[in-house]
Amino acid sequence: MEKIKNFIKMITFPELIKGLSVTTKYLFKKKVTEEYPDFKPHIPYRAKGKLHVQIDTCISCRLCEKACPEWCIKVFPPPKEQMKTDKRPQEFYINQEHCLHCSLCVDACPTGSIHHSYEFELVVTNFKELLFNKETLPYNQLLKQYKWNYIENVPVRPRTTTPLEQKENTK
Amino acid sequence: MNSQILINYIAFPLIKIAILLAAVFTVVAYIVLVERRLLGFFQSRLGPNRVGPLGLIQPVADGLKLFLKEDLIPTNANPFIFKIAPIFSFFPPFVGFAVLTFALPLIMPSGKMHQFAVADVDLGILLILSLSSLGIFGIILAGWSSGSKYPLFGSLRSASQMLAYEIPLTLSVISVIMMAGSFRLSDIVTAQQTYKFYFIIPGIVAFFVYLISVVAETNRTPFDLPEGESEIIGFHTEYSGMRFAFFFMAEYANVVLICMLTPALFLGGYDIPFLNDLELYKTHPYLVNVLGFLSYAAKSTLFAYFYIWIRATFPRYRYDQLLKVGWSVLFPISLLNLFLVALIKLFLMK
Repeated sequence: MEKIKNFIKMITFPELIKGLSVTTKYLFKKKVTEEYPDFKPHIPYRAKGKLHVQIDTCISCRLCEKACPEWCIKVFPPPKEQMKTDKRPQEFYINQEHCLHCSLCVDACPTGSIHHSYEFELVVTNFKELLFNKETLPYNQLLKQYKWNYIENVPVRPRTTTPLEQKENTK
Repeated sequence: MNSQILINYIAFPLIKIAILLAAVFTVVAYIVLVERRLLGFFQSRLGPNRVGPLGLIQPVADGLKLFLKEDLIPTNANPFIFKIAPIFSFFPPFVGFAVLTFALPLIMPSGKMHQFAVADVDLGILLILSLSSLGIFGIILAGWSSGSKYPLFGSLRSASQMLAYEIPLTLSVISVIMMAGSFRLSDIVTAQQTYKFYFIIPGIVAFFVYLISVVAETNRTPFDLPEGESEIIGFHTEYSGMRFAFFFMAEYANVVLICMLTPALFLGGYDIPFLNDLELYKTHPYLVNVLGFLSYAAKSTLFAYFYIWIRATFPRYRYDQLLKVGWSVLFPISLLNLFLVALIKLFLMK
């Protein structure tokens, strides 16, 4: 009996048939290739993309500028008289060419105005295109594009209250 | 009278050759694309799909790229043989296509019969076998003239591999020839049509031996030691540009030739399954021509798919295993099978 079984095994080559069936299974499986330029790739939830600043909540404290190890942020605060009423910066430069995406500025910000976006396409033909100012940081457009509120949804800032709020609470 | 000879013996064959060559070149170009895409699918990838819709212009881009590349000749190489070797490898498969018959003869309105072949020679299958062993000259010369030891090793491996597998291949083909009683390819198909069964049924063993040794003959993946793209260095290491393209096209032309030869030998060629062709041919000859050609194409495509499937599945043989399988398994099996087929022919097939 065993001999017959072995003989059948010898002439039917079950291993070969098994291998061929495995490859056939893969032929009809879903392909894993992401066709990037045609279709947007899946971006992880906590991905660190381009830096973006919500100018409306910025208080021109320049903490991000000091925290940046690559000196790629430059904040121009408004004149002293204006500071009492409107603290929004006059000009805000981010040099994305030097940015390390290290999130130190995000951690330093007391109001949570500066943060990473999901934009990762930083390939340009001219380095000057990587220098962003107040007008070219399209924060509000992005909020509409991705249909979520970044600050509420993404846990990049583990502190429940900002230092400024803490200060207000102690008053 | 003179113009008649000119038309029948020069103009007509030349047109046939032009059509056949154009068709073969297109098929050879596109089987490369089909293989790359199918291999991609087998590995959960998409394969080349960028150039043109579904990547259909990819072969043109590949050809153009190889054509524009610099033509390098190593300093140690023997330039004359180095240049001539790709041609040795290139022309045998393309000549082999000449003897293939693609459908039952076309009946012209004048009552003349025209074969669907460039030259339906009475030793057609023998011609293909001898040409396939001629292709090895290209490989040996390429390896030797490169002036480097690794291509030489590759070509030597190839030589003994082809020698080992040519014998079972020929023996299994001989069993078909015995059953058909002719070397002519159209006669082999007609024999299968008149016997009303395909030669795969009495010659099932011969079929499998043929299938294995033909993969080894064309240096395809489980037996691709002469070339060994992924780890070992093959005979065309020193070749680049157009000369490499010649070897590449020769390999795929060989594959196409074998894919078209296998159905003719074992699966009835242009015979339409489940239909009595020869009866139908008397009433509707053109219909049978078209359907027969289509069924031949379908059978050949099946084998082409099978080739790619095997390439996607099996790992490469070790060299000693390769020769052991060739000499001590396939050779005795094909000899025994020859004896068996002779008995079948003698007692069962009138």
